[in-house]
Amino acid sequence: MAAAGKKLYEVFVSKVPWTLATKEVKEYFGQFGQVKRCLMPFDKETGFHRGFCWVGYASEEGLQNALQKEPHVIEGSKLLVQRNRKPVVGRKFAKEEEES
Amino acid sequence: MAALLRSARALKFSPSSLLQVAVVTKNGTPLNRLYSGTTGARGIGFCTRQGISSSVIVNRLAWPSAAVPGVRQYGVAAEQKGSSGGEEGSVALRSKQTQQFDWALAKLDNSVRRTGRITKTLLLRIFHDICRSGYPSGNQALLLLRSCGSLLPEMPLVERTELAHRVWDKLQEQGASYDASHYNALLKVYLQNEHKFSPTEFLAKMEAANVQPNRVTYQRLIAAYCQEGDIEGASTILGYMKTKDLPITEAVFNSLVTGHAKAGDMESAESILNVMKGAGIEPGPDTYVALMSAYAEKGDIDKIKQTLETVESTDSSLMDRDLMQVVSSLARSGHGQHVQAIVERMRHERGFVPEAMNLCLSLITQGQEDSAYVVLRTFPMLQVEGQNGDSPDLGNFFLRHCVNMNKPVDKLVHYCKDMKDSGLHTTALQFTLYCALEARKTGLAVELMKAMKEEGMPIRPHYCWPLLTHYNKEKNTAGILEVLKGLQELGVHADADTYSRFVLPSFSSNENARDTLKEAGCDVETEGFIAAELRGEAFKGNLAGLLTLISNPSFPALDLSVFRGSLINGFKKSDDVESMAKITELLYQDKRFCAPPADPKEYVAYFLYNLIDGMTSNELRAKEDKLRQYFAQLKTMNINIPVGVYRGIRNQLDSSHVPELIKDVIVLTDAKESLSPGAGTPIPKGVEGRIGILEKRLADLKAEGKPFNNIFKQLIQALCNEEKLDRALELKVQHEEHMTPGCYAVLITLCCRHDNLEEALSLKRELARKDSSVSLDSTRYMTLVRCLAKHGRLEEAVEVLKEMKERDAVLKDTCVTIFFHTLSAAAQKGDVNTIRTLQETAFALGLIRPNNNICSPLISAYLETGDLSGALDASIECHRQYNQLPRIHDIITGLVEKGETEILQKAMDFISQERGEMTMLYDLFFAFLQTARYKEARKIIETPGLRARPGRLQWYAEKCIALNQMEVLENLVDLTGKLFECDRDEMYHYALRLCSDMSDWRKAESLWTKMQEENVIPRERTLRLLASILKSNGQEVPFEVPETWYDGSAPSGGPKVTERQVPVSSSPPPAAPPSPPSPAAVAGDVQMRIATLCKKGKTAEALEVLKAAEEVPLRPAPYDVLIRSLLAKGNLEDAMAVRDIATSRIPEFVLSDMANSLLIVTHVKRDQVQDAQSVFKAMLQSDQMPTALAVTRLVQGLASHGEVAAIQEVEQQAKTLGSTQTLSTMLFLNNTALAHIKNDDLESAIEMLEGVYTGEPDTVRSISYVFRKVLEDKNFKAVDKLAAMAERLANHFASYRAASDLFLQYVDAGHNEEAKFLLQRCAAVSQQKDFLVSYVVKASQQPGQVNKIKAVVEMVPDCMGKTQLYSSLMKCHGVDKDLASAKALYEQVQKEGLVMDELFMKRLALLYTQSGETVPFQEPPESFKFYANKLREQTKTESTEE
Repeated sequence: MAAAGKKLYEVFVSKVPWTLATKEVKEYFGQFGQVKRCLMPFDKETGFHRGFCWVGYASEEGLQNALQKEPHVIEGSKLLVQRNRKPVVGRKFAKEEEES
Repeated sequence: MAALLRSARALKFSPSSLLQVAVVTKNGTPLNRLYSGTTGARGIGFCTRQGISSSVIVNRLAWPSAAVPGVRQYGVAAEQKGSSGGEEGSVALRSKQTQQFDWALAKLDNSVRRTGRITKTLLLRIFHDICRSGYPSGNQALLLLRSCGSLLPEMPLVERTELAHRVWDKLQEQGASYDASHYNALLKVYLQNEHKFSPTEFLAKMEAANVQPNRVTYQRLIAAYCQEGDIEGASTILGYMKTKDLPITEAVFNSLVTGHAKAGDMESAESILNVMKGAGIEPGPDTYVALMSAYAEKGDIDKIKQTLETVESTDSSLMDRDLMQVVSSLARSGHGQHVQAIVERMRHERGFVPEAMNLCLSLITQGQEDSAYVVLRTFPMLQVEGQNGDSPDLGNFFLRHCVNMNKPVDKLVHYCKDMKDSGLHTTALQFTLYCALEARKTGLAVELMKAMKEEGMPIRPHYCWPLLTHYNKEKNTAGILEVLKGLQELGVHADADTYSRFVLPSFSSNENARDTLKEAGCDVETEGFIAAELRGEAFKGNLAGLLTLISNPSFPALDLSVFRGSLINGFKKSDDVESMAKITELLYQDKRFCAPPADPKEYVAYFLYNLIDGMTSNELRAKEDKLRQYFAQLKTMNINIPVGVYRGIRNQLDSSHVPELIKDVIVLTDAKESLSPGAGTPIPKGVEGRIGILEKRLADLKAEGKPFNNIFKQLIQALCNEEKLDRALELKVQHEEHMTPGCYAVLITLCCRHDNLEEALSLKRELARKDSSVSLDSTRYMTLVRCLAKHGRLEEAVEVLKEMKERDAVLKDTCVTIFFHTLSAAAQKGDVNTIRTLQETAFALGLIRPNNNICSPLISAYLETGDLSGALDASIECHRQYNQLPRIHDIITGLVEKGETEILQKAMDFISQERGEMTMLYDLFFAFLQTARYKEARKIIETPGLRARPGRLQWYAEKCIALNQMEVLENLVDLTGKLFECDRDEMYHYALRLCSDMSDWRKAESLWTKMQEENVIPRERTLRLLASILKSNGQEVPFEVPETWYDGSAPSGGPKVTERQVPVSSSPPPAAPPSPPSPAAVAGDVQMRIATLCKKGKTAEALEVLKAAEEVPLRPAPYDVLIRSLLAKGNLEDAMAVRDIATSRIPEFVLSDMANSLLIVTHVKRDQVQDAQSVFKAMLQSDQMPTALAVTRLVQGLASHGEVAAIQEVEQQAKTLGSTQTLSTMLFLNNTALAHIKNDDLESAIEMLEGVYTGEPDTVRSISYVFRKVLEDKNFKAVDKLAAMAERLANHFASYRAASDLFLQYVDAGHNEEAKFLLQRCAAVSQQKDFLVSYVVKASQQPGQVNKIKAVVEMVPDCMGKTQLYSSLMKCHGVDKDLASAKALYEQVQKEGLVMDELFMKRLALLYTQSGETVPFQEPPESFKFYANKLREQTKTESTEE
């Protein structure tokens, strides 16, 4: 079921180098399955992102694929990928982020 | 003398202030860095200005080259305005948030310990905090001054000196008084910063301030002359020292080496070493460093190498740190080419990395980045592998500092490439760019990006965000254009996010932005810009305008995903259903808004889903009608959505409680697909003559034929007490049949004591015959063992021990002591066999636990006979068997003394293997010290990698103190001087304790001088100890004693002042004429008395003193102290009177931050809210910082008066302070609501509060305060409304916090019925378990809360686990001291068969003991703290296991 409610299969990605933005992360994680959304909070004070993001897959499969691949290295930096335990707090980021 | 001037401050004696200093001085080694030969600039002449102009104010210095603008005489108000620029301003803001001074000091300490350096920001912040806290102590001043030298490698030398001067002046203004240690510290800073000054003027100023220079002062002045190559000047000071009979130490000679070299006379420099040897001083590492630095300045690498070889042949060894000085000298004198040769020789000892980092930083600061790079290249490769096996990133600090110091781009790029190529850093360029962006260096950032592009690295739009975010805040369009053009040159198009977040908001309108950008030559026809424009329109809710834009055929293809979020936002804001539908239709049909593989129809369907998903339930309800119309229009436009998406939308609507809209959406579904009935949506956790009398009574009773058992027992006891053994035995024989076991027991012990073993044994046998089940008290058994052992009847002794075991004798501490003495007695006879047998038996039976003490007699037995080898073997055996290594220090000391190298080696090998090399080295070190082999001891303690072990050092120091071994102790202090992480203050404190015991004030004084030489900042207790030694030996105390306020209590009035004017100095300083009490001295005294009286709470007396002191030129400080004390007592009238006096005497007088804050609080307490508010405003105007408490009280006061507008005003003002972080975000909200309620405007209050929970879901937001207040005020009308709101929030918005808060407030106020009622209506409250549990746990910490807890549990039975509940209840009974309830609780626990933790049992046991009852179970032996920690550990592991 495509739009099965709010159910998103999310991974929490940390140690994201500052050189990557939402676009690059989405592209990378897209190889494991369809990425429904990618939330990367930016610090309004500094203009740098906070070094972590959430990547939401449309399916459990995407999530599992992403979790099984280890290590995750983009441009020489190793990312830390974990299953997201707590759902993203509300829709707070949705407004700030243009994402899909 | 000078001490007269040093009383002008309020002294705080508190454990926390001790702690502060304690932490700071812990790092002997890092701070030690300050003491080291200084390398200096060459050939700069300076004029020696003799004498000092008479204009210098007493106790106040004006530094010749100090660039401190505008000397501020009375600082409290003036300093707040801050004469320096923006930087201090922002620091001010930040430090306002840090508030806690302790915290800052700990931070400073941590910084030095970890890195050996301090950042400027941190130092400034702490400086500011110390100023703000009011009256800086001498130690704080010392700490700050000391920090202004080489601990700031990132700051140019000149700036460091300027900072030192600023600190000096400001703290003096604030009432800090300076003694020789401060002047010496300043000198050190001068040397480290190569600051040119006139030593003679410096001395003159010290004299003017009545501070006597000491040996260290002279040494440093010599160093200052030598740094400039002025041998003549140095000789003059040397002359002074000789006339004063001061010892010429190694440091002086080292300076002379430098001095001669600087004067260009290398031959003389070299010859100093021979002069030293002639004077009986061995050249030390510092001497060689001075010499090598001199060669380095000449670029004479051969001589350096030669010197290194010479050092190797001597006893001294050079540390990496020493070599680093040579590197520094080489680099700075333009001989960077030789750096490599020196760097190669470094051993990479412990602490190498931080030291080397500091070397690099200071080289970069001083323009020697190339040499710094050479050093960086030699960093151990271990460091390369980043944490957790990440890619290497060595040298971040290097790159960052280069960026901060504005090094040229090409150099940076070169370093980066080289670092990458050599595998030191995989992302060096990226990191450098990061630093440039962070530092907001636009030009550099663009250049770096160009370099990255050339290297084929991607450049992304968000790289420029850190720059843009800054420019956007300033609305600096020029800056924005610069960045955008830079990006364009790099061929990077800014994306929609970039434009919409940072660019467009800086311009007045989108059009204006478009035009300006175009004009500047920026391409605006990009997807990014257009999308940003769309977002702008959508954000404003201008859907018509947006429609016009996108319906234009020339509008480029733009994926919906780029502006979807904004569009949804726009839909939410707009009521323009028409445009909404048209936009949706356009999206549905036009392929431009949908990237190829996707289908626009589906895209739109998801858009609708996202729209609904993006709206909260009250947003949905508010727009219900509009949405209905919208869907209807969509239907007419033949817009269809897939069933799957419909289901999603339906679930959304359902869970948002707007099911009414479902029917409007269903019509949009694709008719072809069938709708299956959806499953229900799931609905959401401690006599003289006595014997005679007794004998007579016994005889009487016997004669009367009455029973006399009792008297008989008493008589035996009394006889035993008076050691009358013979009579006791006689009596026993007479009345054999009346002997009780107790009688036998005392008799046996008495026999043992009288060494009548046979009698004792026969008594024991008799007893056994009479009653075999009777056992003796363990002490009596042990006494018997001792007696048996003494007579060599080992087997019987063993039997007794076995009997003890059989009878389960409980061994008390006294038994262990008796046993130890038994063994020790055997040891004195060298009777190894007895010791072994007894020891082994006792251990094997488990009667006694082996420890070092109990094992030591065995070793003593060997040592007694001089059998060192046997002793060692025995000790080793003890180690194998019981893991104890008894008397190993004595064994090793013995071996060292006798030169038994072979056995010694064996001992060392063993210790090394079993206890580690470090332990072995310490053992050896102590042995060498003990045998006065100090040279060897030094070699050991200087072993690279050895670090301080405070426990062991303490053990040895205490031993020295106990045995009055002054020489050994002094050597211990001396030798540990360079030991890594050695607490120098602690070491000196040991030595001073012995000085105190031996009343050796001379030694104490010389120790104090040594501390200055070493740059040790003493803790207050050390200063007090030193002062007490000097005082008790009739000496003058040459510094300010931290406790003066406490014992310097002037009973009343002035006589004390005159008394204090007579110096008690035994040797008046020759130079300074006996001066009459200066006005400053009298002022200082008055000031101190005021502070003292205030501290004791005698404000009225303090006020009298102040009033009387009309003629005395006081600083603002004492006034402020008194005002604060008065306010603290709520005495507003007198406080204001003092303010008026202050203002009349000091026109510039202004209350301090703290005084003003207290004033606010006082006003609010008296319900003078208006006055409080005007004080608050005045504070802000003068850039003062009100305390969080003052703001809180003010806001609460305003709320009770219904001053809504005023609260908002305060909120705004508080924001400008940037102090909001220390203030609760809810403070303003809750109080505004309360103000509304006060004004009977319940609706506004509810609206506000509701907004808290229906808006952004945020972390913890509690409106408990509001509930509590209305309940307290019994404003039931408001309570009802608020209750309704809480229910609504819970039932419609799934936001349970308010209801939970209310529930608990009901319970807390005892309104249990209302609580139950609320629970019935909002069942979900019972699900907020964390919340309920935290309430129960908190309640259990205060007395009288049992009923509340019970109420909660009654209403929500399953809110917590039984064990947790019972623990909390027991804690309650504990605080309530309610044993009865506790007993009942324990019964219940037992009935339920629960096993409670030790803390529970411990609390119960305490209750029993407190009520004088015996504890009916075994009380857990450890402390409360122990069990609390244990529990905490358990929970921790449990949560990690999850």
